[in-house]
Amino acid sequence: MKESFFRSMTWMHTWVGLLVCWLLYLIFFAGTVSFFRDEITLWNQPALHNVQAPEQRVAQQRSQIISGINYLQNAGPESTRWGIYLPTERKPQLNYAYEKPRPEGKRFGGWQEHNINPQTGDEIAQTRDTRGGNFFYRLHFDLHYIDVRTARWIVCFASLFMLVALISGVVIHKRIFKDMFSFRANKGSRSWLDGHNVSSVLALPFHIMITYTGLITLIFMLFPYPALTAYEDGIRGLFNDVSPTNVRTKTSPDSAPLIAIDTILDQVYTNWPDADLTQISIRDPNKASATITVRADTGSLVRDQTPTLLFNGVDGSLIAKTAAQLTNTEVFYDSLTALHTGRLANPLLRWLYFLCGVAGCVMIATGCIMWAKRIRERMKKDQPATIGLKLVEGLNLATLMGLPLATCAFFIANRLLPMTTPERADKEILAFFMTWLAVALFALFKRARPQWILLAWINAIACISVPVINALTTNGNLISYLLNGQWALFSFDLMCLVFAALFVVQAKKIPTHTPAKTPQQRTRRSAKTKLQEQS
Amino acid sequence: MHELLQLNLCLLAFNCFALAKFNHYRDVFKTRPSDKLSKQFLIAAWISILLSLALSVVQNNGYGALLFCGYMALSVLILMIFYSFKASWVKIMSALNITVVMLSGLFLTVF
Amino acid sequence: MHAQSVKNSQILSIRSKLNQAYQAHTYRFAVISRFFAAIVGGYVFTAVFTALLSIILPLKKSDAVLLSITLTILVYSCVFIWVFAVKSLNKIWITILLTTSGCALILSLLKGWL
Repeated sequence: MKESFFRSMTWMHTWVGLLVCWLLYLIFFAGTVSFFRDEITLWNQPALHNVQAPEQRVAQQRSQIISGINYLQNAGPESTRWGIYLPTERKPQLNYAYEKPRPEGKRFGGWQEHNINPQTGDEIAQTRDTRGGNFFYRLHFDLHYIDVRTARWIVCFASLFMLVALISGVVIHKRIFKDMFSFRANKGSRSWLDGHNVSSVLALPFHIMITYTGLITLIFMLFPYPALTAYEDGIRGLFNDVSPTNVRTKTSPDSAPLIAIDTILDQVYTNWPDADLTQISIRDPNKASATITVRADTGSLVRDQTPTLLFNGVDGSLIAKTAAQLTNTEVFYDSLTALHTGRLANPLLRWLYFLCGVAGCVMIATGCIMWAKRIRERMKKDQPATIGLKLVEGLNLATLMGLPLATCAFFIANRLLPMTTPERADKEILAFFMTWLAVALFALFKRARPQWILLAWINAIACISVPVINALTTNGNLISYLLNGQWALFSFDLMCLVFAALFVVQAKKIPTHTPAKTPQQRTRRSAKTKLQEQS
Repeated sequence: MHELLQLNLCLLAFNCFALAKFNHYRDVFKTRPSDKLSKQFLIAAWISILLSLALSVVQNNGYGALLFCGYMALSVLILMIFYSFKASWVKIMSALNITVVMLSGLFLTVF
Repeated sequence: MHAQSVKNSQILSIRSKLNQAYQAHTYRFAVISRFFAAIVGGYVFTAVFTALLSIILPLKKSDAVLLSITLTILVYSCVFIWVFAVKSLNKIWITILLTTSGCALILSLLKGWL
């Protein structure tokens, strides 16, 4: 019974993993990149590179908000939503935004943004139209080009499979602590197994945590049933109960003057004397149904729900505020989401998250390569490959090598596309997917060892060219970032070089595709497996 | 400084775990470890890793536990690279590691 | 005599081929059925079980819902693993159907849907 249990777990691990590994690679890759979402957005906006958050950041917030309201009253008095985003450590610019008129049948018209250098108070000209890090963030769970709801269901099921594969992986890896530090190079599929084991074990708590909490972030779509049974009006009821500050009032057509923001701010600072505010958003300004939401920073608490105050925008009364003390369950639930998004993380923790995310990508990549390698090793010398094997090998090459290349293409397009290109942000994304498609087409025809090496070289060159093109097209470069202490930009360029180096190592050292085995090797292998079976 | 101490304690712990293993000890010191030595390594490892966890949690509560997971990942990665490719450098690395633990510990107790 | 043995062996080989095909089919059916039990059966069971949990937990309403929602994933993955760990397919289906309908029954009695 025990033996068959292990066998069935191994079987399940293999097939469940294989079924979704490429999708999971995409999800992990995009997720890992989006830990640096704000930094990437900053890199993609050269106009903001020299903007720095002011020294007295918190002290200036009041005057920034007041001038923001004045600006928005002039620029978009008819708009349905206003937003004021105050400078933070990671986003140095001050941003005033109002919603553009909604096109017929759309629920949101897009933001008209106005960026301001908080130190001089001048408008920042020449910001380019780009999605930046938000592209990867949405790609992580919306998969782009697919209907959002369908995409999220797909992502949900892939993550469920991931969780199942993780648990069964722990069960079948009997020597989990024994082989913790060993990695045997140049041993065919054995090395890939070692790589798979090391990358999963070294970040195992992270992998389990990130998969579980990832599912929790989409849980209301996957399992709405508890909320549906307990509340009359389902999920809406639960949300209104748990976070009263999210309550929506119905838009009224009557106009009414917006209350002076000073009175609101007085109340805010009596509630939170030394608040570090991040965002003010106003719904239906200048209407009878106006509401004003004020959000503050969470500090270093493991919480995802930011402290929020909700005011009536006409008479200035406080409608709701987040509870100062959460119940144990709320804390538990909320910290799960916070763990996943890692918004709270300081730079050190963010890098550790990134490292673990990369380990996750390596884990998935080695897993799917290993499957193909094993089949190849078992095959006779001149036996033709089956369609299934060819498909797996093609998808491996297309996904594992295509995605990094596509990412480089995205960044290069950001620098090289002319500023006046219509729908520029979409063109950048198009560059991403076109590159990926090109690699996939390439993999359709050839996917042997030389192609892996070729693509590794192309990837290395692409990675190097990102900082080079950046240096040629903007005022800054790797060295000036280092000298000026612009760490976000410096790390971005440095990471490109690090990954370029890794791709060179891959091209030179790592065999990703075995040639047919010589008979001698095979007999040795079978003798070894026999020995293992006996012991 | 706190972070440095926590990370290095974690690294030390996993290093001890590795040295308690017959194979890894032989790779580094070229001799067999005695059973007693292995046991001592294990004890040192557990003390060190618990100390690291305790320090991180005391320092940052729930956030610290998260950091600790990251430290573990980083330590295992570093050790894996050393033991698999440069086993002869493990001695130097261990010495460096212990010095950093001492220095940062001393720094924190003094200031 | 010789011709007959050839014929016999032909029949035998056809039989064994049929047998193989049959076995391959049952194997495939068993695999598909197991995956179906794990994915759909596990989903339905988890849905009903956690819905029940959310109304019987002795906590504040929102707390009970949040707690059972966070537990859904745990329950689902346990059921999933269990389906692949148990040998007999019949046992899996019977257990899933019985527990699910049991939970559904209690749930509908408590909510007064019947």
